[in-house]
Formats: sequence, C-alpha cells, structure tokens
Amino acid sequence: MIELKSISRGETVRYLGGAGVKMNSSMESLLDSCESELLRAAVPKYLYKKISVAQDGIFEGEDVRRHLSGCEYAYAVCVTLGAAVDRLIRSSQVSDIAKAVVIDAMASAAVENAAAQVDGLIADENAGKFLTWRFSPGYGDYPLSVQDRLLSILDAPRKIGLCVNSNFLLTPTKSVTAVLGVSQNPIPKGRRGCAVCNLAKDCKFRKAGTRCEF
Amino acid sequence: MNFNDLLKNDFIILDGATGTMLQKSGLKLGEIPETLNITRPEVVKNIHKAYIAEGTQVITTNTFGANRYKMKDSGYSVAELVSSAVKNARDAAGEKALVALEIGPIGQLLEPSGSLSFEQAYDYFKEEILAGKDADAIFFETFTDLLELKAGVLAAKENSTLPIAASMTFESNGRTFAGVSVASAALTLEGLGVSALGVNCSLGPDELSPIVREFTRWTSLPIFVKPNAGLPDPNSNTYNVLPGDFAESMSKIIDFGTVKLVGGCCGTTPDYIRELKKVVDTKKYRKAPLSRDTAICSATTAVELSEPRVIGERINPTGKKLFKEALINNDIDYILSQAISQVNAGADVLDVNVGLPQIDEKEMMTRVIKALQSVVDVPLQIDSTKPDVLEAALRIYNGKPIVNSVNGEEKSLSAVLPLVKKYGASVIGLTLDEDGIPKTAEGRFKIAEKIVSRAKEYGLSPKDVYIDCLTLTVSAEQEGCAETLKALERVTNELGCKTCLGVSNISFGLPRRELINHIFLTMALHSGLTLPIINPNDDDMMGAVRAYKVLANIDKNSSKFIEQYNDACENKPKVISSRLTLGDSIIGGLKTEAASLTEKALETTDAMELVNSTLIPSLDKVGTDFEKGKIFLPQLIQSANTAQACFEVIKRHLSKSDSEPVSKGKIILATVKGDIHDIGKNIVKVLLDNYGYTVIDLGKDVEPQLVADTAVEQNIRLVGLSALMTTTLGSMEDTIALIRKTPGLENCKVMVGGAVLTADYAEKIGADYYCRDAKESVDTAKKVFN
Repeated sequence: MIELKSISRGETVRYLGGAGVKMNSSMESLLDSCESELLRAAVPKYLYKKISVAQDGIFEGEDVRRHLSGCEYAYAVCVTLGAAVDRLIRSSQVSDIAKAVVIDAMASAAVENAAAQVDGLIADENAGKFLTWRFSPGYGDYPLSVQDRLLSILDAPRKIGLCVNSNFLLTPTKSVTAVLGVSQNPIPKGRRGCAVCNLAKDCKFRKAGTRCEF
Repeated sequence: MNFNDLLKNDFIILDGATGTMLQKSGLKLGEIPETLNITRPEVVKNIHKAYIAEGTQVITTNTFGANRYKMKDSGYSVAELVSSAVKNARDAAGEKALVALEIGPIGQLLEPSGSLSFEQAYDYFKEEILAGKDADAIFFETFTDLLELKAGVLAAKENSTLPIAASMTFESNGRTFAGVSVASAALTLEGLGVSALGVNCSLGPDELSPIVREFTRWTSLPIFVKPNAGLPDPNSNTYNVLPGDFAESMSKIIDFGTVKLVGGCCGTTPDYIRELKKVVDTKKYRKAPLSRDTAICSATTAVELSEPRVIGERINPTGKKLFKEALINNDIDYILSQAISQVNAGADVLDVNVGLPQIDEKEMMTRVIKALQSVVDVPLQIDSTKPDVLEAALRIYNGKPIVNSVNGEEKSLSAVLPLVKKYGASVIGLTLDEDGIPKTAEGRFKIAEKIVSRAKEYGLSPKDVYIDCLTLTVSAEQEGCAETLKALERVTNELGCKTCLGVSNISFGLPRRELINHIFLTMALHSGLTLPIINPNDDDMMGAVRAYKVLANIDKNSSKFIEQYNDACENKPKVISSRLTLGDSIIGGLKTEAASLTEKALETTDAMELVNSTLIPSLDKVGTDFEKGKIFLPQLIQSANTAQACFEVIKRHLSKSDSEPVSKGKIILATVKGDIHDIGKNIVKVLLDNYGYTVIDLGKDVEPQLVADTAVEQNIRLVGLSALMTTTLGSMEDTIALIRKTPGLENCKVMVGGAVLTADYAEKIGADYYCRDAKESVDTAKKVFN
C-alpha cells in the first residue's frame, strides 16, 4: 500500500519554477490550503509487473537499453493520483487560478512521491539486489509511443483507470509510467543528470546556476 | 429461446472469467487475447464449453477489447475479430446457451479527462455492434466512465435491436475510477432503456455486497453481478476466494432481491460457476421494494426529489448584459464562474439556457454542458425551446438531466416527449397550451393531466414529469397567485407529480420585490413545491428554503440550518485599513479590498485615468518582481486576479454610463490540437485580461481551422498558441502554417509558449514571438498593439 501523507514543499516550489524565491506567510497559507484539498482528492493507485528486459515493444531507443544494461530483469511501473485531481485542477482554474497553479505543481510533486513509494515496494521485493532509478517514456530518446504498450501489459486502463490519449499523453494527467531494472551488481552512478536530459540546453535552472533534482 | 424470454426465468447463470482461462491456456504477456478467436479458435471454444458444462446459460464472446483503438496493432479488423468470436461462441453454445456480445471500455478516456470525443466513442462501439449482430444480446462490462457507457448504449440502441445489459466497475468506496456513483449509474442506465444493469470486476463478492445493495435501492431492473474471485495477489496473480466461499457470498447477495444475472469476473473458473449454480438452484427470485423517490443526476451526484431542491436560474442571458456579452465572445469561463458561485451558494440543480439570436444555440449548448460537467457535480436542467438543441444536449449529457420544457400544445408534446423518453431524462411540463395560460387552477390542472397522460403514452413514468403551474405577476393579476398555489396543491395530491416554479416573476412592478418573492416562495413550498427556480446567490431566498425545511420537519434536528448559519454572526465585514492604497492592495493580492477601493476611487477619478495611472503600473511592478525572482507565479496571478476584480468594477461603472468598453485589442488564445494541458494558456489569459486586452479563448485541443476562421471573423492581430508536449508541437506548426496561408491574416502575428518550447524551435516553426512565461505574453501584446 502507498499513502500520501504530506507533499514536499521544496518539490512543489521547484515545479512552480520558484526555486530560490523567498517564502512569505500568504504563500505558506496558500500552500497549506491547496495541500489539504489535494490530499482529499488524490486516490493514488499503482501497478507494477516484473518483465523480461527482452519484452517486445517496451524497450525502444538507445537510452533505455543503456539504462538497463547489465540488468537481470526489469519492472514496468505506473502510478496515478486519479481523475478527481484533474477535476480539482480544472474547477480551481475557474474559481481561483492561483490555487490551480499551486495544486497543479503540488500534484506533480505528489505523483513523484507516490512513485518513489512504489520504488520502495519493488526494492523490498528484491532485497539484496540493486535497482536502477525509474526511466520514463520521454526521457532521452525513449519514445512516448511506448506508453500504450506499457499500460497495456500492466492492464492499467482496466485495473486503475490509467490510459493514454492518441498523442500518448497520460490521462488522468497526474500519472507516471516507467521501467526500472534489477541487477545483481551495483549500478554505476552517472546514468542520471543533465547529460541525459532533453531540456538541458534551454534549462532555466542551469541558467540560474542551479540544478533540478533529476 | 431469446434473451428476453430468459429474463422471465428466476435467475440467469452467466460465465466466469475469459482472460484468466486464456492465461491458463498459454496466452503470452503482451499477446492480444482477441486474436485467439482467429489463431486458436479451439482454445476459445473450449473455454465456452467448459462454462456451459457447469450451467452457464449466457456465454460472453472473447471480444472485451475488440475495438478499433485497442486492436490497431493486432493485424486484424474489428469485423474479423468480432464475427469470428461470435461464431466460436455460437459453435460452442449450440442450443444449450445464448451468446452475448461482450464490449469493454475503449481504453482511452473521453473528454474532459481525456481527448476522445463522445462521437468518436460512439463510432468505435457502433463498429463492434454491427460486427456482432449475430449475437443474442449485448453486454457492456467493466465501464468506469458513465458517458462512455452511454455512448455505447446509444450505439447499441441505434444500430441493433438486441437487448442490452450494462455493468460498471466500482471501487470499495462505492465509486468508479471516474467518480460515478451507484445511484447515478442506475438512474442513467435505467433511463436509457437497458434490460439489466449492475456491477462486475475489481472486488470479490463480499466487498461488492454493499454496492449491490445500493443498486437495489435505486433500480427495479434485473441486477447483474459478476464479482472477482476475491482480491488478486500482485505477484502470483492468483485470487483469494475459493469456489465454495464465492457461492456462499453470492447467496447472501441474491437474497437482497432484484439480483437476477449472476456469474464471475477475474479469477473465476468453471468451478466457481458450478458452485454458484448449486446455490442459485435453491433460490426463488424476488424484487426488492423500491423505496426511493424520483431523482435526477450527474455522473457523480444524484438528487432525490424527496424534499424541496433549488434550481439555480443564473445561467440564462435574459436581461443580463454581461452574460450576453460572454455568450457572444465565447467566454465559457464566465459561464462556469456563474455556475460555481450558484453551487457554492447551495443550488442543487442548475438550469442552463444559452439561447441568443446571434449565436448557434446548439453548438453553444453542447459546449457549455460539457464544460459545466467538467467542473461542477450538480445535475443540470437543459433549457431550450428548440427540440434539436435539446436532443444535441441530451446526447452528450452525462447522467439523467431535466428537460425544460414541454407544454400542453400538441406540437410541443410530440416533439419533446420522445426525446425525454429516448435519452432517459425528466421533464418540466408547463401548464399552458395553444390557448395560452388558463386563468384558473382547474384549467392548469387539466393541462397537467394531459401532459402526464401523453407522457405515459410515450412510455415515461409520471414521476419523471415535474409540473410548472406558472407564476403570474401579482401586480397585474392579483387573484392569480391563489390559482397558482391551488393548482400546485392539486397536481401534488391528485397526480402525484413533483412541481417546479419560477418564483421571482411574482413581484414584477412592485417595490421591495425581495419581500414579495420570499413570502411567495414560502407559501409555494407550503403548498407542495419541490423545485423552486431561484437565484441561489440571494441569501433571503436560500434562507427561506432552509428555514422551511426546518419548520416542515425535513431538516432533522435543524442540523443543516445550524451548520449553515451558526457562524453567520461571526462573519462581520472586514474594516479596510484607511492607509491601504489601491496599488498596495493589487500588489498584495487583496481582492475584496481592491474592489471597494476601486469603487471609491471612481467617485473622484476618471476610469481610464485609474486604469493607466494605478492599475497598470501596479501590475507592472508585480510583473517585474516576478521576473526578478522575488515572488512566486501564484502571487503574480493573485495580483492579476485582484486587478481583474478592479476591472470588473470599472466595467460595471462604464456600462452604467454607457461608454464603450475599454479594450486594448483582441487576442485569440488556444491550446493546440491534441494537447489537453491548458493551465499555462489559462494563466496567460488571466494576465492579458487584466492588462485590458480582450481574450477570445478557444480552449484546449483546438483544430487549426477554428483558429484561422475565428481570426478572420474577428479581424485578429495576435494569436497565442500553447503546447505542453513534444508530441503536440506538430499541431502548433500546422496551426501557424494555416494562419500564414489564410487570406486576410497577412498582418496577424503569432506568439507561442509551453514547457517544451524553445526560442529556436519557435522560430523554426514560423512563430513571430516566443514567450517564456505568462509575463512575456503581456510584453508581446504591448509590442503588437502599440
């Protein structure tokens, strides 16, 4: 089971694009009220399944193969906060868009938090082995078009109501799909970071001399 | 034997899981189960035979996902897969069982959660239904979106004569993933004319039990129950309830009554069906008594008319200048904000009227209903005089709505009632006819009787007809009020119908209208009025309804009344610090304060002067702070919203003095085709609005052609396009290309923005301006219009 208890303020602020901005009390109270609304609406659900690293139709592109190189097997993973969060974001866009912006950012932080909990469950099942970090469609040259097959082998539309639209966007939108690999041996560092990020060239964090947490 | 004959039996035994059985027969991970209909028909037939051998009377075809979307990579057409599946089932069944065409969800979410349209969904289902025409019935199973299921049921009704069973999948909280409640599912599906309805999958029989019980409260149609074999173990994918225990739990469910069709879903096998049959053979069918009153619903919320319920009247352009403007400018957000404020004030239902001579009412009605249903939960009342508008709205409405209205004229009865029946709605019956409004209660009662009897002829229940005995203006016809109330009482007592009444007409032409309105409302409630149509934002009117519910012993222990008003005396109006300036209040995002300071300033300052010397400079200061990283984006937006409140005050002031509205220029905004992330675009909209630009918001997932057409029509000089995903940048490029080659748009500039966009890429796809954030879109607008 995974449960959302609180949502990281740091992450939320990062998704708001406001890293480094000074917090004040009115912003704090806005974050508080958004957090309680979001936690009421969010019903996190997840699925994961052990798959072969040779599974057809899932591992397209160089980057994901490199990511999983040396792995014994892999997991397909998906997580969603559910349709009510999308609805909350939609209705708050009408009633108070400032709130909508915060809830949108906070929900991104929340789904990441939920996904990290799922990582933990998989790690527990593979005690003594080593896990790569989650690699999602859209990272590097790993195409979004595999979302469809990833969800389909997880039976995600039926089991947790998670689908993609014809442009491979996940619906409900506050959702994550990914694969991660399991290896007998420690995973070399350095497979993560700006070097493999699509946005590195135009990244506003880098321009500001900082980094995101990717 | 056909399916309808079988329904006359006490019980119908269905089959168990197909997927579980296929996996046992060696289906590989990632292999498409429906292709086995063609590649290994014997495997499929053997599964059917195994179920029939244990007593299954209706087998379902192996076509759960056999729609064009899911089958796109299968190498076969839907027609091939479905017709071979029906043939396999028929071969296996012979004379021993009937064959139901199994239809599952498409696998893509419908608007507004996803981007699949209702019409596309309908077409997918239609294709499956036509291909499966040789089956004996159609089973829609495991749906979670009620609107998708409605598209399927309509496709079945319009393209086939086969009986339909429809089931949804609920979580243990009693709702589907899309938030659909049991009550809403039951009311909507019963209205659409299915033969049986119910639940399957997701949970075991014990966990489903409270959900089935809830169904028995809301429907008298045969209930369909197919639980899983308990809950799955995530690793072994085995289920935790054994066949004997499964049957024992089902026995308790059958005893609720009304449950008639029983089988199993994931994890169940022929062993489960054998045990289930043993139990069923000992039972006698009985219908549980239906205790509910007539009701309407959205997908999430049912409103039972067992007590007075308020219909909000504010979504209506009649006599409302700003609302008319909003309709003409396609300003859907204005309409949505009217809806939200009525719901927050306590409206149970919202009337929706968008009729205006200069707009396409049908197109606007469907757009508004879709938009409303994406943000509010209350059921809607579709208000139009045109049958084609009503039908278009009824088709895409998610739930069971009220149609406003039919009247005693033959023309109206024969045009409106069939629509109400076909789409399973309720209807308001106005007590007037060819000869106008009868003066007496007797005359109106006669018309009510006629409407009810005609409704019955069309197969409608009188319970779904809500009679409006019509409010006349008391200053013109003083004796009329008593006639209205008398008619209302007779309709309630003698016809057993619920009633509705537009209340505020009563007081036209009198001073202190609110006094007359609210006393009349109280009198009408006492005479039996169920559905007052009022302005819920009027505290006295809502107060009258709430107080009536206390005095009529409806609001038990006055608990809702107390909840509503206990804190009322503590909410004293805030005193505005005399030192707070308008500029500070905008920078601080203090909406209420800023609005009253604007009112005050307008007493001494010219409106344009106030805009240029205070509002805009304050916004600029906030904008600069944002650029410098001193404040967060939500703070920028709060200031912009505060400025918006000031602009509203100024607009009202100007519309009083009849000056031209202040606009610095018209800008189109759209999130491009295929993209459903529109929050960025909406932020830009708020900022542009507040800098005095008129924004024509085309919404999300917008066709390039609509952008170009609107730009030509409205003589637009600046278009803003947004896209969030790399996959939709292509649509952005297409839209720009279309603008470039459309005659009349030679001087139209395009600005673009969105998370994945870069300045280089913007240039490459031919945009004039790249906006990194919302603030830059304002800078761009300034450049273009100066």
